[in-house]
Amino acid sequence: LVSNLAEYLDESPIQFGQISTVQNCSAVSSEDPFLTSFSLPTCLPFASSQSVPLPFPMAHGTTTLAFMFQGGVMAAADTRSSCSGLVACPASQKILPIHSHLVGLTSGTSADCALWKRILARELRLYQLRHGRRLSTSGAAKLLSHMLHPFKGTELCVAATLCGWDGGETGPGSRGETTKNQMTELFYVCSDGTRLRGMLFSVGSGSPYAYSILDQGVHWGLTVDEAKSIAREAVYRATYRDAYSGNCVDMYHITSKGWTRRNREDLKEEYYREKERRKHEKTERRDVAFSD
Amino acid sequence: MALEDVCSFKERPVQHKWFSFSSLGDAAIPFPTSDCYNLRYSRLETSENNCGVPLHFFIPPLPHSSSFINRPLSSFCPPKNSMTVQKPFRLAHGTTTLGFIFQGGVIAAADTRASAGGLVACPAVHKITPIHSHLVVTSSGSGADCMLWERILIREIRLYQLRHGHRLSIRATAKLLSSMLHPFKGTEMCVALTLCGWDKSGPKLIYVCSDGARLQGDVFSVGSGSPYAYGVLDRELRWSLSKGEAISLAREAVFRATHRDAYSGNNVDLFHITAQGWSQRKREDLKEEYYRDKEKKGKKKNDKLK
Repeated sequence: LVSNLAEYLDESPIQFGQISTVQNCSAVSSEDPFLTSFSLPTCLPFASSQSVPLPFPMAHGTTTLAFMFQGGVMAAADTRSSCSGLVACPASQKILPIHSHLVGLTSGTSADCALWKRILARELRLYQLRHGRRLSTSGAAKLLSHMLHPFKGTELCVAATLCGWDGGETGPGSRGETTKNQMTELFYVCSDGTRLRGMLFSVGSGSPYAYSILDQGVHWGLTVDEAKSIAREAVYRATYRDAYSGNCVDMYHITSKGWTRRNREDLKEEYYREKERRKHEKTERRDVAFSD
Repeated sequence: MALEDVCSFKERPVQHKWFSFSSLGDAAIPFPTSDCYNLRYSRLETSENNCGVPLHFFIPPLPHSSSFINRPLSSFCPPKNSMTVQKPFRLAHGTTTLGFIFQGGVIAAADTRASAGGLVACPAVHKITPIHSHLVVTSSGSGADCMLWERILIREIRLYQLRHGHRLSIRATAKLLSSMLHPFKGTEMCVALTLCGWDKSGPKLIYVCSDGARLQGDVFSVGSGSPYAYGVLDRELRWSLSKGEAISLAREAVFRATHRDAYSGNNVDLFHITAQGWSQRKREDLKEEYYRDKEKKGKKKNDKLK
């Protein structure tokens, strides 16, 4: 058993990515050799073959966002899982912690995202065990991007935003406590091969609505409370207009001490509060009309 | 005068009651019955001056008839089931237009970029066109189609005014436009207009689309940049905004959309419609706004660091 373990630990992670298990195929043709073996680093079997019909139409409705500021990284997402017109789950989790200082926001097909998050978590842990130090966020993004590469052109759809703090095992050390936080990282990795580093990302069908709010208010000097409220407002506005986003909002805040999760908040309350306000406005409008 | 004769125009003062909200209780001017309208129609059909009786115009031409080639408006697309003509270049409907109602009237704003696929075909287009003194229309969709339909709408509204002596209400204008667009439903014509105006019943905002939609509302934004504008508008739009605040909100919404959307950009046009008519704000280049915003964020960052 020990020798097996040693072999396993020495195995390169890249080869793992060539698994050709299909996420949606139930009717498998028996002459397909790829499904039986796990270690074939060959090209995609499915790009040229006849595509299997999807069991139901997939849709990628979501709103996730993350931005960097002086107090770390703020990540927020809605909780609706939609499947074309159906709300498949009103309380899904789109922000998945990968380890204590790295959080991944997922967008795209939820099944694919859940799977790849687990794969990434596993690979990062293996890396940590093999090399004695944690992989940086940039490295994790690169790893994920390379793992997803063999699936480019298939129907795999994963758009992940990795938010993390790279502290390393050495403490602040000679760098000291700089006010500009060079240790937080924000990366966007997509199954079509994109890998981008940035200060602000929003992904999903509700992202345009969130982007305009974030562009208005996000700057480096935000306080933690301001950042929380703007993230919440951006997700709320996206859920207000986008049909595929909704229900609750999840918020995570990543700092040098790790990630902290805010209680899931139902946006229904916010919606009703706004409705009350608009109703009040309407009566005000009518009063003005009749009083003149 | 020739035009008056053609339209049998009787000398009648145009009835323009600028209703303040207090007199909403008065009966609205009744819409003229269709009978006298039809009578005039039959007279007009025989007139040789008339080359554009609305009804004739709307029958889509048969694909292989010779009259099709002689039609002045040869930009018609043949019906769906016949052979389609190759498009000269990729049409794209990139734009950001918006309109909203507040206590001081109606604001209409739009960017000025006309795109064709990845090319910025024109950086200084007018997407907001006045129809008459109290109605402007913002256009989105295919630029050529919108320009044509704006001219047709101006013509029809003016003809109605000359024939009947009063101006058509905005709701009726929207209905007229919608029924004029209906024969082209299913073709590749793409027109999405927002009528912003003020009539006897107060401020009005109606969205009319070549798919057949006709919606009245308080806030509309159309185009590829519309989600970005909606985010900003939903957050800050209130009935009780002052004129200055409303104008700056509209500008901000268009700016945010042009910032993120590739197909919107360049300048912003702003119109403000009140009971006294429309007034246009000077066209403003958003490049300046972008630099100002960047500087402001940089300044905030420096303030916090101190």
